[in-house]
Amino acid sequence: MSDSRERRLSSIRRLLAAADRVYESRHRFSASIAQSTALSTEGVELGFGYLERSASDAELTALIAGVSEAAHVHVILSANVFVAPLRALALAIATAPKVTVRPSARDPWLTRALVSELEGRCVEIVDERRVASLDADTFHVYGRDSTIAAVRSEARPGTKVRGHGAGLGVVLLTRAVEADAVAASIAIDVAAFDQRGCLSPRLVVVEGTFAQATRVAESIHRELGAMARRIPRGRLDAEERAESRRWTDTISFAGRTWAGPEHVVGLGPEGEPPALPPVGRHVQIAQVSSLEHARTLLAPTARFVVAVGSNDLDRARSVVPTHARLSPLGSMQRPPLDGPVDQRPG
Amino acid sequence: MNPALARSDALHERARAMALAFERRLPPPASFDSLASDLARFQAEHVPGYARLCAARGVEAGSIQRAADAPAVPTDAFRIARVFAFDERFAGVTFRTSGTTLGARGAHSMRDTRTYDTVALAFARAMLGLGPRVPVIVLGPPEEEAPDSSLAHMCALLSRELGVVETRDAYFVRAGALRVASLRDCVRGLRQDAPALVLATSFALVHLLDEIGGESLALPTGSRLMQTGGFKGRSREVSAPELRRLLSRAFSLPERAIVSEYGMTELSSQFWEASSVDEHASPGVYAEPPWARVVPVDPETLAAVPFGTVGIARIEDLANVDSAFAIVTQDMVRRVAGGFELLGRTPGAPPRGCSIALDEILSDTENVP
Repeated sequence: MSDSRERRLSSIRRLLAAADRVYESRHRFSASIAQSTALSTEGVELGFGYLERSASDAELTALIAGVSEAAHVHVILSANVFVAPLRALALAIATAPKVTVRPSARDPWLTRALVSELEGRCVEIVDERRVASLDADTFHVYGRDSTIAAVRSEARPGTKVRGHGAGLGVVLLTRAVEADAVAASIAIDVAAFDQRGCLSPRLVVVEGTFAQATRVAESIHRELGAMARRIPRGRLDAEERAESRRWTDTISFAGRTWAGPEHVVGLGPEGEPPALPPVGRHVQIAQVSSLEHARTLLAPTARFVVAVGSNDLDRARSVVPTHARLSPLGSMQRPPLDGPVDQRPG
Repeated sequence: MNPALARSDALHERARAMALAFERRLPPPASFDSLASDLARFQAEHVPGYARLCAARGVEAGSIQRAADAPAVPTDAFRIARVFAFDERFAGVTFRTSGTTLGARGAHSMRDTRTYDTVALAFARAMLGLGPRVPVIVLGPPEEEAPDSSLAHMCALLSRELGVVETRDAYFVRAGALRVASLRDCVRGLRQDAPALVLATSFALVHLLDEIGGESLALPTGSRLMQTGGFKGRSREVSAPELRRLLSRAFSLPERAIVSEYGMTELSSQFWEASSVDEHASPGVYAEPPWARVVPVDPETLAAVPFGTVGIARIEDLANVDSAFAIVTQDMVRRVAGGFELLGRTPGAPPRGCSIALDEILSDTENVP
């Protein structure tokens, strides 16, 4: 391994150590994070559990090998889950010896805490919003497509812009699945960050009969009800509540819903394309007769699918988009620290 | 006869009777709420999804006495479910919405278009205030090129029923292309002592303005121009007042003679600006026929909001007999004197994470068929 790679590996290890210290003192930020993310206090604690604090050498080697080297990366963080800054900084450190970062204006806490705890000061906070005035040769932009496009249009000529856009998580259950055996794992993947992350599943595709899909819906409904007692959903803003009302009425018309105080599970018409639910613990179950049917059903949204969880990774691999991260159920929110969460071409 | 068909026929008859009474300047033969409550009961019995929606909202369809008490069907439902009281073989016509990234297009089936045609024609005549027959020019595709477009059907209907024989085939968008030279010839050939009617989509008008630059296509005095639809990424966006001003200059028409129509695939009735027939009507304010109304509602509770407050449009259309007489859209509206204002689409929830927003998927045009 070259000196440069050793140095980057060492810097990322220091970042993980900083994350460990931030985690240990998380009570200092929890209330602020709960306020800015709209998660419940318990939801923030659950979210902190997904903060990467360790990684194997193989994962970090893959992380470093996957980047295109640069001299100066400026990271722009906007809409993201609150633990995401760690991976964003790790990627930037893997890419360039100089890293600057603009934290999310609404949710700056973890970024500032990580930079503050990071020994060696290899990352600097730069709040400048005028992209053209920054002299970085590479931008890593996390946010909506419109944010990424705006940075691309404003960046100096010759600057590289790597976009990490919004995405969607999907669960794929194959015919052999036992609904009761997997529902709790799906519920935890749904509940994390109240589904506001791109790894969060909002669609559960069930290979099998309509009766099997119904059993899956009932089981997830039951587990989300139990989840709400342990980890209450945070607050939804007015627009999110409006989207919830609209989706719930649509699925009530088209199929069937199971509503709890803090979640809604909907089962669409047999074999029909899904009505994608909003965030905030809303899950659409879609029944398919075969994995080929699942592929057809997912095709219109395939380019948005970032993560797939499944009870049968081998069979699921043949169906899911090649760019999607494939994980066991219950682990969708814990991808290894071996590259960006979103592996679509940026 | 199938009892459901007989009931449907009777309800259609009552809806058409409201339009005919309107045309004859007679009072409505039935109250809005009376027909609405009968429609709610019929639809709850024969549109399975509507019965489920009523149950989910805790509403007993048989007890509905006022239109406002009936749950409204989200327009998304037309995309993922059948919103039709009858078996598919009874669908004489099916209008479809434009595609979205999610693939499915909304479908609105009708047994036939008699009620649609009756109400559309009655209100269009009233809002245009033209003589019995005028030259009609359509800047949109002919029906045979867009057989599942409700807009193409309406334009064909108005052209057929309001147009003089000489302009029965006056379509100037063919195979997706605007035929400017032919249009220019047609306009120049119009008699200057008889008004004409132009029916156009907003994006076709923008393309036309871009093509003709500062050239005038002066229409005869007393002519009308109806524009409808948004831009949907098919042309550059132009604000409504600016488009009206540019069209006024291009066609040598007073701005009040340029009227917008608001309709959608999921409806049978339309709403029009009344500025060409009512000197007190303000541009940008849509009037409603007696058989349809627009109620701004809170997007979360779906309860009506106070006069003058912005809400999303709940639309009650008594001509939607075999589908859903009450629908809820994502269009923002506000009640004002004389009708309602249309204020664009709801913006969607601002993201608090990287989970993709619904509007971001739906506005993506890369995969739209």
